[in-house]
This record gives sequence, structure tokens and C-alpha cells, in this order.
Amino acid sequence: MDRRKALKNVAFLLGTAISSSTIGVLFENFGTYEGEKNQISFSAKEEEILAEFADIIIPTTKSSLGAKAAGVGDFIPMMVRDCYPANLQLLFASGMKEMLSKCQKDFNKDFLSLSGEERHKLMTDLTAEAIAGGKKPSFFMIARDLTLLGYFSSEIGCTQAREYLPIPGKYDGNVDYKPGQKAWAT
Amino acid sequence: MNINSNLKKQNTYDAIVVGSGISGGWAAKELTEKGLKVLMLERGMNIEHIKDYDSAMKAPWEIEHAGRLTQEQKRTHPVQSRDYPYNEATEKWWVNDLECPYTEDKRFDWYRGFHVGGKSLMWGRQSYRFSEHNFEDNAKDGHGNDWPIRYKDIAPWYDYVEKFAGISGQVENWPLLPDGKFLPPMEMNCVEKSVKERLEKHYNNTRLMTIGRTANLTVPHNGRGSCQYRNLCSRGCPFGAYFSTQSATLPAAMATKRLTVRPYSIVNHIIYDKDTKKAKGVMVIDAETNETMEFYAKIVFVNGSTLGSTFILLNSTSDAHPNGLGNASGQLGHNLMDHHFRCGAEGTAEGFEDKYTYGRRANGIYIPRYQNVGSDKRDYLRGFGYQGGASRGAWHKEVAELAFGENFKETLSLPANSWSMGLGGFGEMLPYYENRVYIDHSKKDKWGQPVLAIDCEYKENEAKMREDMMYDAAEMLEAAGIKNVRTYDNDCYPGMAIHEMGTARMGNDPKDSVLNKWNQMHEVSNVFVTDGSCMPSIACQNPSLTFMALTARACDYAVKELKKGTI
Repeated sequence: MDRRKALKNVAFLLGTAISSSTIGVLFENFGTYEGEKNQISFSAKEEEILAEFADIIIPTTKSSLGAKAAGVGDFIPMMVRDCYPANLQLLFASGMKEMLSKCQKDFNKDFLSLSGEERHKLMTDLTAEAIAGGKKPSFFMIARDLTLLGYFSSEIGCTQAREYLPIPGKYDGNVDYKPGQKAWAT
Repeated sequence: MNINSNLKKQNTYDAIVVGSGISGGWAAKELTEKGLKVLMLERGMNIEHIKDYDSAMKAPWEIEHAGRLTQEQKRTHPVQSRDYPYNEATEKWWVNDLECPYTEDKRFDWYRGFHVGGKSLMWGRQSYRFSEHNFEDNAKDGHGNDWPIRYKDIAPWYDYVEKFAGISGQVENWPLLPDGKFLPPMEMNCVEKSVKERLEKHYNNTRLMTIGRTANLTVPHNGRGSCQYRNLCSRGCPFGAYFSTQSATLPAAMATKRLTVRPYSIVNHIIYDKDTKKAKGVMVIDAETNETMEFYAKIVFVNGSTLGSTFILLNSTSDAHPNGLGNASGQLGHNLMDHHFRCGAEGTAEGFEDKYTYGRRANGIYIPRYQNVGSDKRDYLRGFGYQGGASRGAWHKEVAELAFGENFKETLSLPANSWSMGLGGFGEMLPYYENRVYIDHSKKDKWGQPVLAIDCEYKENEAKMREDMMYDAAEMLEAAGIKNVRTYDNDCYPGMAIHEMGTARMGNDPKDSVLNKWNQMHEVSNVFVTDGSCMPSIACQNPSLTFMALTARACDYAVKELKKGTI
């Protein structure tokens, strides 16, 4: 029985570490239907801001195009409107406004005019804030989750950042992994 | 009057099969191949093989919401959206809950698919025989009624259905999991092979790990293509590589030219003839027009899924059968069971960083039941098996750390640093008389029918078993060298395994069972029920293969008796 108790404690410790943030966690926990929808809409400029925001997380690199090129700027607002309950839509919209005013306050510029360095600083701040706040649902956490989800399910993410095999035709569970070899997209 | 008699002739068949899923498809195939003119009634839409598998060839970026459900889908599918099977790519297969409500006296997740093919299109495809043990357990420990058959009665029918359906698997000579007529097995990956070797050695071969036995073809079979390792089975397979009504039994039945399929046909009740003491046919509501009509036949096979069939029988009342057709025993609707699962353990495998996979195998490993057998004694009855597997995913700790930028992106483009291995238990639930369904007349469905109420819960035996399902898994993984082992119990409610069974059980004694050993109603000799509702106990194995075998066996008997003139 002691042995079993010990295992249970390990489960508790690891369980909290693992479940605290993976792609999709926000959906599972807050995704029940609440009877209202589409509390918010997004302007073209806001979509551009979201695309640039996503591109800070997943930028274009030598090997592949980034989140903006992959269409994440359209994906995020579409997902927020279609898949999130009203309370989270409103939370998302107000959090986004807060981020924009933070840009004015910290850099005296609007978001789209920030330099690369300033964007990095902004994202570092937002990350620290989210971690300090226990990664609770927020504009930042939702936009970040949707960036990862949208990018790695996009054509660019699947075929450039990762490798997509539509019809493998066989299974081999013991192939050599070559250092640097990309992950399978699905 | 003339019109009516013409109509009656037009609407008369040798046999009616209610439902087109796994067991209904088999009934249609067997009965037509034996020369009967058969009408197969399906309450939902038609689904044409390949052509109607809308999402089957879509790339990830062609799934608009990346597979996630919209708020609108959650509104119309409040039950179906409780768990993973209903998602954006598979939404077509699951019912709109608002159209067909039911009453949950206790939480019961009722996953339903109304279309030709039924759940044969969405099933998990794991295909295991029940063993001699499973047929004896009820008699031995006194829970439930005794099975009216033993393994030897069904073994030749397992052979028969496996050969046609195409089940891949490994011969193991394991008494609790009899071997079948297998196609070549799928391969274990390098981590699974290592775990298997260490685990079996550690337990002195008192435990076994084998590759999952699955109704996916590993070689072309009966004109169907072999598995392409896309792992998109739940969308419908354009290669016909897994067993479904559409890929296998329906084409065979259609080839006889004796099958008529009528979609959008909700069977409301079976029409009982008090003079002949037999069923004379069924009353149908057209799901599109709400028009009612009758169809007639010499025999009726009820294959509407466990609770669907039970509803029809409970709703088929007459002076002779006031509590539902063939329900003098009072057992109809009772003894509802489902497997309990969603608990086990997982961890990481070290030392395989130089290995990866090619292809996506829609199958895992299986550890058959070893509890309460021989010298293995537990403080609960029956037992459980495990499904699981090893994989090298693409998750990185940087996701949880909220990293961003170039390095983060490069990291996420690589496979995970290590492999992970998990085992999830599937436990047997005992038959309890008080776990039941009944008709709730206070609510109506879209077609004006009363609805089913479900009152079912797991009890102490299941709760005790779940502890072992977690800790045995953790102990086995640790014995096999897996690191960072953690246990989990994600909670389980009846219905979630989509293995609901038992509400019209078989038995030798008409006083305590609904069906006899041929799946024939004790009281109404021309009505056969061969879906999950017939099961006196559920073992811990996935049940669909057993439904197939029981159906083929019952069809053989029914046609022989029909020819002899006894029914």
C-alpha cells in the first residue's frame, strides 16, 4: 500500500506540471456552450495586429514561413468568434485593448509600429505576467494557444515547419531518427 | 381495400432487419445470402461508401476550425460534445441531441449515429473474442444470469465472421483471449517491443502484451484495400480498409439482389399478432415526412443498437405484452452495462532518442485480463485489460513555459525529446438489475415519440477495480523500465465507452431472460435481437466481434427454423 501511495503522490506532482498548459487546454476547460455568441467582431486592423502578434511567437525563419504568412491573423478571430463562449470573447477583446494601451504607455507607439526589439520586450512582459498570474484564461493565453494550434494545422506549418505525409502506406515503428529531422505534422 | 392489399404485398418481405450498423449489416448479409428477401430499415440518412466520406481525404489545413467544435455545434450536440468522438472532421456521424433527447436519471453519455452503417463507421475496430471464462463468470460468482451458451458454441462463428471481416492480430495461445483467424499482425514499435519483453519476463509470463487485434486490413482482403496508415479511420475509409457495413457486409448483401435498404425509417414499434403469437411486421415513421407506414415479414431482426432496440421493444406494447414485447420476465431494459475506462498510467521511455516512426498506426497494444485467474486474487470480481501504446509526439516543455520566437519555433518543429508509453484499463462492469432504462412519456422527440430514461451507475466493484487499473499499469510500466510514471483517473460515466449492453439479455430460463440461446425471443419466436442488448455479461474485451458472431449464428438458426416451418 505504501508503494501505491508513493505512486499516487508522484501522479499528483507530475499531473499539475503537465496539465498546466498544452495546446487546447483552454478549450477543454472553458468550452461549454453558454447560450450567447459573437459578442465581438474584429476590424481589418485588428486582424493585422493579431497576425503580427502571432508572428512574434512563431516568426519566419530560414527553414519556414511564420504564423502571419500561415494565415493565423485570420484564424484567431474566426476561432474566437465561432468556438468561444461570450464571456471569453469579451475577455479576449478587453485584453487585446489592454495590450494596445500598454504599447502606448511603454513605448509611446501603436502596436504595429513597434520595432523587433520592442515586440520582443512586449512579449517577454506579457509572458512573465501570464506566468505570475497562473496562466489563467486571458487575451494572451487564448491568442497564444490559437497561434500554436493555427500554425501547426496550417499548410505552411504542416509542410514547412513539420513534415506532412498524407498517405504513408505502411507503418515502421523502428526507423532511425536523423538529428534535425522534422516532426511529422500529424 | 384493393389499394391496401396491394400495398401490403408491396411492403412484405421475408425478413426485416431493424438497423444497419455492425450487427444489422451482418444480419442483412447472412439472411440475403441464405435466400431471403430482406428489408433493412435505417432511421437516419443514407451514406454511400467512399463518396459520402466528406472529410476522409482532407488535409489538416482543410479542416476549418482545426477539428475544434463551434459554439453552435455544442448547442445542438450537448451530449455528443462531452467527449472526443464528435469533432469537426467527424460531425456528420453523430446525432443532433436536440432532436432525440433522453432523460438522464443519472449521467449517461449516449453517443449515437443515425445513418446507414451506424457505428460501424465510427467504431474503434478492436476485435477480441470472449473466452470460456467470460461465458462462465456469471454462473460462477452469481452476478447476472448464466449465459445460455459456452465458448464452444460461438467459436466456429468467430472463425466465420473473422474470415470475412478481416481481423489482423497475433496468435498467442492465451486462454483468456482466444486466438482467431487472423490476417498478419501490425507491428509494435521499438519501445513497445522493449516494454513487452521486460514486462513478460518480470511477471514470469503470467502477463502478456500483444499487438491490438483490429478490423483493419494488413493485406488486401475480399476485394478491399489494405490499411494505408493514415489514422483517419473515424472519417470513413476511402480504401475500405476497415470493416464497416459499407465496406463489407452491405456490398455482399446487395450482390444477392435480395436486399432493399430504406433510410429515414424510424421503427416505432413491432406489430404483434395475438392470433399467431408472432410479430407480423413493424410500424415505421418516415424521418423526413413524418408519415407512418407498416412493413411485414416472417421474421424480424432487431439490430438498432442496445438502447435503440430496447426502446423499440419497450414501446411495442399490446394486451398480450403490456410491459413491452417479450417482457414477461421483467428483465427488458434492465442490467444495463458499459465498460469503465479512462484510467491507467503513463511515463517516458529513455534510450530510444535515435528512433522514430514512419506512418500512423491506428492501433495500439493490448494486455489481456490476468486478474482473478489462477493464483491472482483481487478484492473485487472479474477484471480488466489494457489498451495502450508508445509514441514519440511533438510536445515540448517550452509550450508550457510560454516560450516564443525563433528557437521556440525550431524546437516545436522537432519530435519530442523522448518517447512516451501509456496503458489505459478497460474494466468489466457487473450486471445490476437496478441499472436500467425505461420509457419516459413526459418528453417527446422530434417525431413525437416518447423518449428513453436511463438510470445507471458504476458501483463498488467497479470503483475498487479502477484503483488496480491505475496502479497495476504504473507497476508494469516501472517494471518495464519506463521513467516518470504517473497514474491518472479522468473519471468515467456509463456510456462513455460506447459499449452499452445487456438490456434484453439471453438466458435459458424465460423467467429471467428475454432471449434464448439463439437470440430468439422466448415469447415471440420470429423476433431475434442480436446487438449488444443480448449480452448477459460484458467481459472486459471490446464487444463488436461478439455481436457479429452471435448475429451470424442467429441468422443460420432462424433460416433453418423458417425452412422447417417452426417459426
